[in-house]
Amino acid sequence: MTSGVTVKNELPTKIAVNNLQFFYGDQLALRNVNLPLYTNKVTALIGPSGCGKSTFLRVLNRMYDLYPHQRAEGEVLLDGRNILDPQQDLNLLRARVGMVFQKPTPFPMSIYDNIAFGIRLYEKLPKSELDGRVETALRGAGIWDEVQGKLHASGLSLSGGQQQRLCIARTVAIHPEVILFDEPCSALDPISTAKVEELIDELKENYTIAIVTHNMQQAARVSEYAAFMYLGELVEFATTTQLFTLPENPRTQNYITGRFG
Amino acid sequence: MADIAVESGRVAYKDAAARRARALRAFRFRNGSFHGLTLTAAVAVLVILGGVILSLIEGSLPAIRAFGFGFLYTSVWNPVTDQYGALAAIYGTLVTSAIAMFFAVPIGIGIGIFLSELCPEILRRPIGIAVELLAGIPSIIYGIWGLFVFAPFLQRHIQPALIAAFAKVPVLASLFAGPPYGIGMLTAGVILAIMVLPFVAAISRDVFATVPAVLKEAGRGIGCTTWEVVRHIVMPYARAGVVGGIMLGLGRALGETMAVTFVIGNADVIPHSLLAPGTTISAAIANEFTEAVGDLYTSALIELGLILFVITFFVLAIARFMLMRLERNVG
Repeated sequence: MTSGVTVKNELPTKIAVNNLQFFYGDQLALRNVNLPLYTNKVTALIGPSGCGKSTFLRVLNRMYDLYPHQRAEGEVLLDGRNILDPQQDLNLLRARVGMVFQKPTPFPMSIYDNIAFGIRLYEKLPKSELDGRVETALRGAGIWDEVQGKLHASGLSLSGGQQQRLCIARTVAIHPEVILFDEPCSALDPISTAKVEELIDELKENYTIAIVTHNMQQAARVSEYAAFMYLGELVEFATTTQLFTLPENPRTQNYITGRFG
Repeated sequence: MADIAVESGRVAYKDAAARRARALRAFRFRNGSFHGLTLTAAVAVLVILGGVILSLIEGSLPAIRAFGFGFLYTSVWNPVTDQYGALAAIYGTLVTSAIAMFFAVPIGIGIGIFLSELCPEILRRPIGIAVELLAGIPSIIYGIWGLFVFAPFLQRHIQPALIAAFAKVPVLASLFAGPPYGIGMLTAGVILAIMVLPFVAAISRDVFATVPAVLKEAGRGIGCTTWEVVRHIVMPYARAGVVGGIMLGLGRALGETMAVTFVIGNADVIPHSLLAPGTTISAAIANEFTEAVGDLYTSALIELGLILFVITFFVLAIARFMLMRLERNVG
């Protein structure tokens, strides 16, 4: 479906996905997907449940590798290097391509350690410097003021929205280059959702972002580019404005106007 | 015509109401008797448990009167002079169980981690079943195997090496001193370790499986290796459950009789060396009950049983408590 790609410009590409096919066992879940993620832009992936959005996201940090019988074919170029290469160091890849999940997933440890844990994996820092990094990450996720006084309380003691921002802070703390959001707000109330969206808007200054969402208003609010997927195919990729106002493909038109999905 | 139809409809309705009332009465009766039956079954457990405790206490009264608390901290066990103290048996029980847990806990948790996190799909079931079969082997078989195969093997190959290796190390020298008998505290401890291993392994596998996949993915998502995910995410999350599993294993090790009786040597003394023969509470009871002719002798053995009951009761209570906490965390 290369014809679906209507954006032709010279923006720098962080991740280029070429002819990607994905299989769960024998079942084809992604069919010949071609999609760029532009540097420091937010790209939204929309489409009905089961269309392959989350699968697509899980290819970008090779999370699918944890499970047997799942495999990807084609090419995913991160800064020009194919990450589907079996030689690819997965720990390094996942440090460069961070992920925030649908449900908040704080680790069973203190708020401080939730952040420091990831940093310690890669760097041995003196306590004072580590404190600084933790604070920066928590500020970056807009949650510092709320947790400042209880850094050593369990991460599980926070509210759902706070937990999700804690997870974003944790992801940001290890300085990734790309952040993948898999329906990050679907378990959150509207106020927490607004905070996370605001945060995504700030994060794109430093990171390349892909976000899967079922909420089309959200996609319109946070993204600059949008991709519509349907039954494992990329139907249309365009600037968000164009996709929501002048979609080229009738299936996109039907979906965004609520006629199916 | 229409009147008749309405009339018959009413009659049919009345009939139906009567039938329904009858059915509801039958339901109530059946429900009530079902409730009564299950309640009886549940209460029966409490009655039996209470009966066991009462008869243990009643049976040990003569010994309690004769020796008081001294029974707990003297180690003389002399049927000829009718002097009894439980310390040797308590010591043996605790030491053999400690040896068992020393081996079974790390190996069992290792098996649990391997099965839940690392094992290739095709090996998962065979290994899991093998571990469960290990739990199904009757203890008499462990006893026979321990006495005829394992103890001679230890005597010939392992114990001389241990004695030689630790001969010059201050504390360990006395723990591994004396002639290699084959049978003794260490042998009993190792046999117990094999017996409780499946409990620890199966329960740790099950509690590790309760760790949400998305939490492990989140760990992977910031670049953790398998080891880091297990060490920092899976283990803390499952800690209470693993401790519960260890406690259940410990409960079994404390009470295990047959296999221990075969290999511990049954000497009513506190051995200073782990290689020397000793006894445990359950081994002492099993060995001596048939020859206990005097009332005080019998009573002393029953009091041993009471002590074992109290020890295992607390161990299992702690295990339950830990598992309850885990369920609260998960739910």
